[in-house]
Amino acid sequence: MIQSTSLLESWTQENNQLASGCKLSSHVFLLLCLSLSGIPPHLDRAQLELSVVYNTCVCFTAQSQFDEAELLLTQTAQRLLQIAGDDPGTSDPSVLWRTALKSVTGTALHRRVLSLLCLQWGVWLAKSRLTAVQDFQEVSLLEAQSGAVWNDCRAETKEKISNIPILVLDPRRLVDLLKICTAIVQGAERLTEGWSVLSALQAASASPAPRALIAYTHLLSGSCLAHMNRPQMALQCYRKALETDPRCVCALYQSALIYSRLENSQAEIQALRILHSMLLLPSTTEPAMAADRLLSPSLFLCSQSLSSLLSVPSALSVLHSLALKCVIHSRVSEGVECYLDLLAALQSEDQHGVRVHAAVSTLPKLPRLYLEAGAALLMARRPADCMALCDEVIGSTLDLLPEKVLLEDPVARRVAGSGEVTEEAENGLVRLLWTAAAYLLQGHCYSQLKDWKQAVTHYTRCINLLVKVHYKDTDKDAEQGVDLCVLQRLKGLSLAGRGISFAQIDRLREALRDLQLSRQAHPEGVSARRWYGEVLWRLDRKQEAAACWEQTWSNPIPSLSEALPVYAQELQSGPLLDSAELRQKLQELGPT
Amino acid sequence: MGDRLENCCRCASNVCKSDLTFHLFGGQSFSHDAGSGPTELKISTECLVAVADRVSSLLVVGSVLLTLCRTDASWSLTLYQIQRTSQSDPCDLLASFSLPLVSPKVQSDTESRCVLVCVYPGDLMPASSPPHPPRSHYPLQPLLFRRLFGAEAALSKSPVVLCGLPDGRLSFLPLRIPGSRLRILHSLEQSVVFVGASAVMETDAGCAGCLIALGKQGRAVLIRAGRAGLEGGGGTRFTLGCVPGPVECACMDQSRVYYSTGSDLLMVDLWDGSSGTAGRQGDKEDEASRSNPAAFLTPISLNVSGVVALHQPARSSAGEVQLLSLSVRGRLQSIRLPVRTQEDSLSKGPSSQVGRSVGDILSAIGDICERASVLKTIIRSKNQILKQLNQVVNISFLLSNRSESDLKPVRCRGSVRWSRLLQRDSLNLTCVLENLSPFVLERGWTLSVTVLPLSCPLEAGGEASSVNYSFPFSGLGPGESVEVSLPVAAAGDASFPVTVTCSLLFSLWRFLGQEEATAPLDLQSACFSLPLNTLTVDWLHALRLSDPPAPARSSSSPADLLQGFISSRQLRCRGGQASRPEEYSARVRVSSELLRDALGLAPGSPRVSLLEWLLSEGCGGVKMERKGIKTDGSSSVICGSAPDNATVKLTVNVEEKTKPLVIVEVQVKSSSVAAVCGLHHAVLRRIQVHTLSLQVILKFLLKIYQSEFSRTCQVWEASSVGVSSGQTPPLLLRVYQQLRDGPLLIL
Repeated sequence: MIQSTSLLESWTQENNQLASGCKLSSHVFLLLCLSLSGIPPHLDRAQLELSVVYNTCVCFTAQSQFDEAELLLTQTAQRLLQIAGDDPGTSDPSVLWRTALKSVTGTALHRRVLSLLCLQWGVWLAKSRLTAVQDFQEVSLLEAQSGAVWNDCRAETKEKISNIPILVLDPRRLVDLLKICTAIVQGAERLTEGWSVLSALQAASASPAPRALIAYTHLLSGSCLAHMNRPQMALQCYRKALETDPRCVCALYQSALIYSRLENSQAEIQALRILHSMLLLPSTTEPAMAADRLLSPSLFLCSQSLSSLLSVPSALSVLHSLALKCVIHSRVSEGVECYLDLLAALQSEDQHGVRVHAAVSTLPKLPRLYLEAGAALLMARRPADCMALCDEVIGSTLDLLPEKVLLEDPVARRVAGSGEVTEEAENGLVRLLWTAAAYLLQGHCYSQLKDWKQAVTHYTRCINLLVKVHYKDTDKDAEQGVDLCVLQRLKGLSLAGRGISFAQIDRLREALRDLQLSRQAHPEGVSARRWYGEVLWRLDRKQEAAACWEQTWSNPIPSLSEALPVYAQELQSGPLLDSAELRQKLQELGPT
Repeated sequence: MGDRLENCCRCASNVCKSDLTFHLFGGQSFSHDAGSGPTELKISTECLVAVADRVSSLLVVGSVLLTLCRTDASWSLTLYQIQRTSQSDPCDLLASFSLPLVSPKVQSDTESRCVLVCVYPGDLMPASSPPHPPRSHYPLQPLLFRRLFGAEAALSKSPVVLCGLPDGRLSFLPLRIPGSRLRILHSLEQSVVFVGASAVMETDAGCAGCLIALGKQGRAVLIRAGRAGLEGGGGTRFTLGCVPGPVECACMDQSRVYYSTGSDLLMVDLWDGSSGTAGRQGDKEDEASRSNPAAFLTPISLNVSGVVALHQPARSSAGEVQLLSLSVRGRLQSIRLPVRTQEDSLSKGPSSQVGRSVGDILSAIGDICERASVLKTIIRSKNQILKQLNQVVNISFLLSNRSESDLKPVRCRGSVRWSRLLQRDSLNLTCVLENLSPFVLERGWTLSVTVLPLSCPLEAGGEASSVNYSFPFSGLGPGESVEVSLPVAAAGDASFPVTVTCSLLFSLWRFLGQEEATAPLDLQSACFSLPLNTLTVDWLHALRLSDPPAPARSSSSPADLLQGFISSRQLRCRGGQASRPEEYSARVRVSSELLRDALGLAPGSPRVSLLEWLLSEGCGGVKMERKGIKTDGSSSVICGSAPDNATVKLTVNVEEKTKPLVIVEVQVKSSSVAAVCGLHHAVLRRIQVHTLSLQVILKFLLKIYQSEFSRTCQVWEASSVGVSSGQTPPLLLRVYQQLRDGPLLIL
């Protein structure tokens, strides 16, 4: 008996040494644990044994070795039942734990068992076994009641510290952490299932917890409100999340999405800009939550739906959408800067360029990016830069172009190649459209430079490429619809551009023909119609011109949209007709 | 010599250094003296850059380290950032790409390594690139680069990593394109050993116009850009070729590939000499080489064996090429190749080499011819065997599908004849196997005849023992027949009737021409049997005729006399009766109408014709061969001797008293009961066969007969043991005789 007591003491000391050591390792604890489990279970030693098991499992959990932790916990529960002489006859952990807890109620072991139960809870949470957690939550109500007991124990601990085995982590802190993590994970799960979880989340946000976790609760409330179609309140929540934890980038991203929905472009651009600069900061992706702690909350937050809610696109994608928004919402110079940054980032050997691979990229294809940047440069009246970009695109695609593109019947195509839509992204048609768009932009550049002959040349090249596409004129479908629409628009724009250029060098007949064709290819083209009228006017067909003008009078050139590539829209880069002048002409005509 | 050795060692140290620094990424630099031999290097854990399992290849591109690992279900290419944040941490993982395995089973060998190389567009010179690009980095002709990897890769000027996998796939990954993934470029269908690039023409100025990949078994693919506008915007051309394998390792300089087969080091000049036309000139040769891949890529042997690794060749200013190789025994060799001038390749090459190659080709043709003829013979014989087996199967179906009563297309008929050999008379059965089927009975068939006496002599213990004869024959065409002869019974043997069962046996071993000696013991499995018909030889068949008036005592030979004496003596002892053996008789009465209608006998002289018919008719498939029945014209008595040498008299009487029913009576008389019974049975059987309508009566009659007979026999047996010698047997015999004499008439 004396020997046993001394052994007990030496084990306790060993545990305390390990627990107070700076580097915690599950291996040494496991060794201690094994040596303890070698002796038959007894009530005297149970206190120590449970503490060692607790410490070992905390270390396991910290190293994400959840299976090992769970195994050890189950074994311990069975050992406890052996002590109590109780056999539930099952290996179901929740039954096991209930029985074990019942058997130790009122004894000194009760709080130790409770703390082990908490660890089991953590393991369930980490393994996303939420039903088990829910079962357990009834038991965890007991937890709160036993809080008082624990406080007593603490006082006790202070008195005779040498005899009591030290725990590496205060069980109450563990409970707090688990509570909020459970609230977050359950909130995310229910949110994806379409439930309203607002109250639970708000309750959780009031609990003591690390800032990052509180921020998550606000974020989830925001998402919930957004689902409930209350964007302003959602924005408030996001703002709260950001205030709680400034590194909560995903709140920023969600706000940008809400602004976009609210069509508040300026705010959206602002949000995107901040988001981008925050993403560029080091270590924003993994918030350095509680580095001093043993258990990181991220261990318990591994639910699929939560991570999808928390996901943020890569910095480059954010930069691209920022650039596009700027260009579309007439902040061209900013957009140009963004585009240039983007292209530079893509060209550099920097790690950001490579890291893009990891996430599924939302960036468009590189040539399209070049062309968008080119269009932005053109709008910013930097034709030389635009031409350089277009040259690159042409250089890389020109000798890959097919002689002829024959678009099959869309129905047949869909049947045949439904699986290969993504695979065949860079097919002949797409390359041809890129090259054609590059020529179109170059044509625009030359017309901006008033080099009409060159402009005609480039527009002609564009047209020559576009007529290589043959297709049956069937209804425009979703897949090919965009490509076909771009094709038609490019046709219309290039013909219009050539017509306008011809008009400038007084080759009115060609101009008239091209403008007419342009109107056929793309009936919505406004400048083509206005110039058609102008050419008619110059050809002294004033009545027709007036009719044409009248027709186009009401609708101005439509603003840019996101649905189509920027370069396939009317950029207002070419020579413009003064509407006042037109009106005057009409008035002249009117009386006569 | 010493100088050379030193040189080698210096090379060794260089290789070590470059390799290790390559692996450790600017860890400590190792300096040790030349010539001090290999040194063991200690690598601390601080040098750990990445932790990965089963890495089969790695490559550094710029500041990115790529590793290719095989996992259970896929190949995964992992990218690490080399610039570490702190010395102790492993590199940051940037991204990981995976390519599923084709089939896990095939790629079970973990030995095979992968090839990782990096290609980049030739117009892009990396800013900090050394004048010589590092190993496994190849600048590629921009046109080829665009065609292979697409506009996006060209636009981003991204380096592209090429992976050659052990399953033969050549896949690529553009490094700098967002959202790119591993895609397949080509499949070599054998383990990729080497991927390199070479300059096609002088105009390429440092960038390669041709990618080459070598497979383990020597398959090679050359990838070049097609002419612009040739086939819809110009594609890439994949030219397949072959070099003698196996390829252990390879390296290449500007235009030559050096590779080792393990036993020899070979050099392939891609664009020079005879093979160079494939590269230089138009597409005509190219088509030819594509259709006949072996036509190009002729390697030149360098006569170095055992090379397992090669380092990138270095070319001196004089044009000398120096190769560093590692032999299988761990020796590092420096190989200098002399400058090959144009004259060398033109003049020296042909005279010796062409002769040799022609000789080689001729001998190869001879070999192939021989092998082809052997194969042809084998195929022919197998076809023959198949044809014959087809016949066998046909015959088997033909014979096994019919029931017993059907007349089989292959059947036996028999005829019996008494013959005397070595003073012993014996009854010989000549069995004729007729093939009336349309199929040929080929070699491998055996006619098996089993002779089974219905009863047996008492001495044998009462059990009938069968005798089996088998007659192998080779080839029996449709309509042909084969005749075999076998003894059925010897004189004095009274165990008639005898059942002769014929069957056809087929033995696969005999069919295949193998003798029993080589045949395995398990003959059952290689043999099957098809039953044919069954023949019956009865007393009438075995009856030997003698002159009509001859009474029983006319036996002439002393042996017969003796036999007669002994049998009479026996009878006397048994019967204990009068000195003269008793005559037994049996009668069969048939209406003459029946004879006329059913048997078709002439009504004129029914007696003689009935006797003739009885003696000559082939009943039970067996005919009796007789020279002619010696009946003296009107006489209706035939005398003969039964097989047990008892004298037999067959008499035919016509009773006309009972008109209008004319009864023909056949009477059998003999001193031997067995003979009487047997003959009676035989006569009845003949008539029975032909007058099936009377079956019922006959059955009844036969039943009585048989039961009486068996009872008689039993009594006889009892008496012979000597239990009782009372008056019972004669009494029973009398009953039997009365029964025989009864007025049963077959109508």
